Amino acid sequence: MKSTLYRIGLLSFGLFLFSCGGDDSSSETQKVDKEIIDPNQSLNTNFDGKIFSIPSPVQTALLIKQVNLPFDQSLLNPTENAKKYATEQKQALNLGIYGTDLGYSALYKQKSVSLKYLSVVEKLTGQLGLEGAFDKTFMSKFEKYSDDQDSMMVIVSDAFRKADNFLKSSNRKSTSALILTGGWIESLHFACALNKQKPNAKITERIGEQQQTLTTIIEILEEYNKDGSNDELIKDMKNLKIEFDKVVVDYQFVEPKTDAKNKTTTLQHKITYKINADILNQITTKVQTIRNNILK
Amino acid sequence: MNYLKIALLSILTISFNSMAQDCEKIVKVCESYLTGSQGKTRFVSDGQVYTAFLDREKAEFKTTFYGGSTYRIAASAGSDDDFVIFSVKDPNGNVLFTNRNHKNSPYWDFKVPNTIPVTIETELDLDKKVTGCAVMLIGFKQ
Repeated sequence: MKSTLYRIGLLSFGLFLFSCGGDDSSSETQKVDKEIIDPNQSLNTNFDGKIFSIPSPVQTALLIKQVNLPFDQSLLNPTENAKKYATEQKQALNLGIYGTDLGYSALYKQKSVSLKYLSVVEKLTGQLGLEGAFDKTFMSKFEKYSDDQDSMMVIVSDAFRKADNFLKSSNRKSTSALILTGGWIESLHFACALNKQKPNAKITERIGEQQQTLTTIIEILEEYNKDGSNDELIKDMKNLKIEFDKVVVDYQFVEPKTDAKNKTTTLQHKITYKINADILNQITTKVQTIRNNILK
Repeated sequence: MNYLKIALLSILTISFNSMAQDCEKIVKVCESYLTGSQGKTRFVSDGQVYTAFLDREKAEFKTTFYGGSTYRIAASAGSDDDFVIFSVKDPNGNVLFTNRNHKNSPYWDFKVPNTIPVTIETELDLDKKVTGCAVMLIGFKQ
C-alpha cells in the first residue's frame, strides 16, 4: 500500500513539475500549501492569483483615428530597436509596445508599416515562446484582411488573447503583466504626444480616464515582481500616479436602462474628468520618460 | 507520515492539473459568446482571459469601460450556460447590472455613452455548481 502511494506520489509530482514549467511555479506551490493550512484564505477564491484587467490599447488608437488625427509613424518604436531586447522583461514590455504599434498602423491601413511591425512582433513572440498565437492561420488572415479595419482589430486582439491565455495557463503571469503594461504605456504615449502637438478635448479626456488603469498597472507589477525586476518600473509608475491623483473625477450615478429582450443595458451615469494644462504636461513628460526607459 | 503527505500532494496536484484542463475547455465555450451567429466575430477581444477557480467565494476585478463603446461580458463555468453569476458595479458600489436577474445569462451587452471605472464580480450559482473554474471574456465594439 505504501509502495503504491509512493508511486502515485512520484508520478503526480512529476506531472506537477511538467505542468508548471513557467517562472511562477514556486510561488504557486506556496499558494497551494497556504490553502491547506487555512481554507478561509482569500487564495481559495481562485488558483490563478488575483485578477487584473487592462482596457485594450486598440481602443485609444481607435479614438485617435476617430478624431481624424493623421497617422504619425514617428510615434512608433523603431523596429531596429528589437534586436536590443535580450531579457525576458524587455522582450515582454516591448512586445506590448510593438503590438500596439501594429494595431495602430493596421487601423490606418498602413500595409507596409504593419508588415514591418508584424515581423518584429513575430520575432519577439518567438523569443518568448508564444509562436502559437501568431501562427500560419494568423498570418494568412492578417494578409487577407489587411484592408479591413474591423477584421484587423479582431485578428490582432485575438492573437494577443491567445498569447495571454497561454501565458496564464502556463504560470507565466509575470510575462503577461509586462506585455499588458507595455501596450498600455504605448497607447498613453500616443495620446499624450498627439495631444501635445494639437490639443484635443476627447484625447485629453482619454488621458484622464487612465487613473483606474494606472492603479491596476502598479498592482499587477507588484504582484508579479519576480526578484525585484519590476522595482524601477513600479517606482516610475508610482511617480506618474502622483500626477494622475490630481485629476478631478466628478461621478454621478443615474439608474441604467436594461433591455432584457436584447440582453443589453445602457448606462446613464454622468462623469467628468478635470485635468489642467500643468498636470497634462507633467503626465506627458513622465510617460515619455517611462517609455524611453522601456525602449532602451 | 511522509507517504501520507506525498499522497495528499498527489491528489492536490492531479486536481490542479484537472482544473487547468477544465478551464481550457471553458475558454473555448466563452470565446463562442464573443462570436456572431455566422462565425464572424462581432466583438473585439480586450486581449485578456480572466480565469478563476471559485470555491463558494467571489472573484472581482476593476476595469474601465470607455465612452462611445458597447461592451460584451461573457462568462462560463462549464457546458451548461447558467453556472456563473456576474455583476457590474459603479465607482460608488451601485450595482449597474447582475445577470442573476436574467436567468444567469452567459453574456450581456453594455452600451456605454460615457466612460466609467467599474468593478466586475463573479461567483458560481451555488444552487447549480459549488466549485470549479470560471472564465470571463470582455469584448468591445465602437
